[in-house]
Amino acid sequence: MIQSVGRAARILKALGSESARLGVTELAERLGLAKATVYGLLRTLEAHQLVEQDLETGKYRLGPALLQLGNAFLDNNELRARSLLWAETLAGRAREAVHVGVLYGANVLLVHHVFRPDNSLQILQVGASIPWHACALGKASVAYLEPEARAELLAGPLPRLTGRTLTARPALEAALAAVVETGVAVEDQEAIVGEAGIAAALFDHRGAVVGAIGLAGPVERLLPHGPATEAVTAVKEAARGLSRELGAGRPALPGTGA
Amino acid sequence: MMGTTAAAVPWGRLMPEAGREAARIVDSACVRLWLGEVAARLEAERDFLTQLDAAIGDADHGVNMHRGFTAVMARVSAVEEATPGQLLRVAGRTFVSTVGGAAGPLYGTAFLAAGGALGDTERFGPRVLLDALRASLEGVQRVGAASVGDKTMVDALSPALDAYELELRVGGSLETAVNGAREAAVAGMRATIPLQARKGRASYLGPRSVGHQDPGATSTALMFAALEQAVIADRSQRFAAGARRPVSGS
Repeated sequence: MIQSVGRAARILKALGSESARLGVTELAERLGLAKATVYGLLRTLEAHQLVEQDLETGKYRLGPALLQLGNAFLDNNELRARSLLWAETLAGRAREAVHVGVLYGANVLLVHHVFRPDNSLQILQVGASIPWHACALGKASVAYLEPEARAELLAGPLPRLTGRTLTARPALEAALAAVVETGVAVEDQEAIVGEAGIAAALFDHRGAVVGAIGLAGPVERLLPHGPATEAVTAVKEAARGLSRELGAGRPALPGTGA
Repeated sequence: MMGTTAAAVPWGRLMPEAGREAARIVDSACVRLWLGEVAARLEAERDFLTQLDAAIGDADHGVNMHRGFTAVMARVSAVEEATPGQLLRVAGRTFVSTVGGAAGPLYGTAFLAAGGALGDTERFGPRVLLDALRASLEGVQRVGAASVGDKTMVDALSPALDAYELELRVGGSLETAVNGAREAAVAGMRATIPLQARKGRASYLGPRSVGHQDPGATSTALMFAALEQAVIADRSQRFAAGARRPVSGS
């Protein structure tokens, strides 16, 4: 490992961890490094616009090049690029917000978010990272992983996010079996009180799961008496269409009832 | 003062002393005063709460709370004769049915639990109010699974109840107890700023949730500020009424 690259990464993460701007001294204390070292690293990062200095306070914050890198990350995500149209269509059909997510470790990273089409004020959740076991996207993805990978996630830490989060292994195994059985994953206020999700897995040309697409919204609308039938159908159809576009052939689509 | 990281608490100041006599009981009139005070403060703070929620949530907390309490006031005003417990249960049911997001189920549960604990007692002392508030906290924790330090409303609610209880234990009155509760709730609310959220939508942001005040803890602190003001206003009204209403009880 290259020490200075590691230190630069730690500086970026420290600046990205809160809204406050940090001075050289604060950063040096936080990272346990000499001020001169931190200063040198900051100057280099600044030259690449990865950090910038506030002219009034002299403190440092993240720089504009990071936005470009973040956008490049999203653009390079093939799933996101391909999902744009399907997600928009699904949101319009179900009149709910749509999330597209990819499993990274034990969390689902939201790579795309379409607002609920009702003109209400909503906040973009792209970049949010949600524990897999607490959301429909995560359960939909993990249900189709190879057994070893699935077992590893089931054995990992399963934090309780609400009173309804499934944290016992048998309950989660049953939920994953139900995903394979029905073709959709359902989440009932397991991540946020009052909110629910319905999602289906997305597959590539090898039949491997590459992510999931689903609806997120108020529990009373998505799960009025169990999952709303039209919502389930809409999610399944979007997932099936998007998977085909990603190269999944009909025979390679497990658990979609095709 | 309304920066996204600011602990702007326009309601967080002490109410002026309105008299010496300590009101020691709570009845329906006092509960109505409290609910009305909460509604007025939510109206005034709606945009501030929304602004806090926009930073780490989904920007609906102010609107949701305001809408919910407007509905609560309409329903509660329509009920002429009711015990404190009944009023709180009406408030809880209204909240659950009119407020979306996490606030509806969480505050709805809190009011329903307090109303349930009070049963149909018409008047009660500070100790009984404490039991009702404890039932609220238990209900909120059952639904939300949050502990102190998770950056949620529990960070204001739990220390408020501890402070209230401590006041009673050292011989304080209802007034000093609600004063202690309000101070502790505001302190708990401010203490959420440096925390990383472990519950709710804010937890999706990971370390980026650090540096922002939790909107739920803020609305909870608002409710304790309203409670203190209601208790003081209630006592003043009793004075004005020439003590036609009792000023003390068990």
